[in-house]
Amino acid sequence: MAENKIKAKEQAFKDLSSKDKTKVITDLLLNNAMYIIIILAVIYISIKVPAFLKLPSIVNVISLTAAKLPIALGIGGCIVLTGTDISAGRVVGLTACISASLLTTTFKVFPDMASAPPIIVVMLIILLTGGVVGLVNGFSVAKFKLHPFIVTLSTQLITYGIILMYLMKGTNNGQTLSGLTDGYRSLVTGTLFTIGGVAVPRYVLYSIILVALMWVIWNKTTFGKNMFAVGSNEEAANVSGVNVSLTIIMVFVLAGMMYAVTGFLDGARIASANANTGLNYECDAIAACVIGGVSFVGGIGRISGIVVGVLLLQIIFTGLNFLAVDANMLYIIKGLIILIACAIDMRKYLVKK
Amino acid sequence: MEESKQQTEQQTPRQLRGLYSKVKISVKTLNIIIVVLCALLIACMAFGVAKGGFHVSFDTQGGTAVETQTRMHGELIEMQEAPTREGFEFDGWYLDPGCTVPWNLETDTVTESMTLYAGWREK
Repeated sequence: MAENKIKAKEQAFKDLSSKDKTKVITDLLLNNAMYIIIILAVIYISIKVPAFLKLPSIVNVISLTAAKLPIALGIGGCIVLTGTDISAGRVVGLTACISASLLTTTFKVFPDMASAPPIIVVMLIILLTGGVVGLVNGFSVAKFKLHPFIVTLSTQLITYGIILMYLMKGTNNGQTLSGLTDGYRSLVTGTLFTIGGVAVPRYVLYSIILVALMWVIWNKTTFGKNMFAVGSNEEAANVSGVNVSLTIIMVFVLAGMMYAVTGFLDGARIASANANTGLNYECDAIAACVIGGVSFVGGIGRISGIVVGVLLLQIIFTGLNFLAVDANMLYIIKGLIILIACAIDMRKYLVKK
Repeated sequence: MEESKQQTEQQTPRQLRGLYSKVKISVKTLNIIIVVLCALLIACMAFGVAKGGFHVSFDTQGGTAVETQTRMHGELIEMQEAPTREGFEFDGWYLDPGCTVPWNLETDTVTESMTLYAGWREK
């Protein structure tokens, strides 16, 4: 079946005039410029540093991808609504700090506590925290028609202020929170299975579950269909009876909960949390979404695209790290990647018939 | 009426929506932008690789200064001689100023730019 399709495409390509042929090839090259560069970079890196293609490095890339997936899945929804969410990283920081302050053995933030509360209670607390921030974002965007950039910029700052105040509570005095309970750490970073002597952490499984869950929400529920309808044309969606405000609010609340999950996983993954946890995570997540084809045009995007986007970004940055490229240069490279991804995104939309 | 509408649609390029709704740009300009940015990206990567190396600096926290070293990914840090400090004994290198996470010079390899802090024990 697939072979027939390829053959049909080949035939169609042969039938084109030479001018059209060059056009098809330039289209192909330009629309996939990012992937081509990343593939070339990976080939170069694996020749230079063979350890890059060894099992430990591959498992490392997959684990880091899994750790960064939930936040990208959350932000993806906001981008489908032609918005964005720049409060994401700070929400990750706040929820990581809450998890690390409660599921600990030292209780510096709450000196009166004697034992850690059950993990499920902490999960609910942080989901609620993330949900509340998302609700504020979503409500302001939906009801006051404020641009998501402005709303999430202010919630980003407010959340950062709350993190700093939270870390000053009790006897902690702004210090990094550590000394997490074994239960919390093993739940997240415990071994899922070992492959060739390399342990795959449990949070990979949680990420896969979240991807499946988000796929169902995006593709199989009325809410998901409404989200795409609102993203591609708000007025049309409104006329056809979609509750636009509710949809926007729910997308942001869901995104907030996804950041909370990221924070929960990150606290245990890094084994500590401080005011800088989650800093700039939203940049990576937005870049990953745009690379993965979630368009700022609105109403366009797929879960599989987000997964590919996060994976590609992780591969390239792990590779550059293997080549000992300075962290300062990585910021410039990240910025350029976002610009290129946006230009390609616009081009695809303009060329499409 | 229908025909004229179709014609104008064909003549004017497709209007961008969403975050790009104010953007007025032709495909040709975009092509140039993509090519230029890609070249810039590759140049940045090449520059980064050529200038590669993580900087490991040492904060001796009151002891004699130790020079910053440049190391590639996965390399060990080589230490000729330990720093000294009046009235204190050197206790090894640590990843944090509070001296809680030790750095083993023989087994720990460099994976990022970082600062190591000297730990001191009172004599």
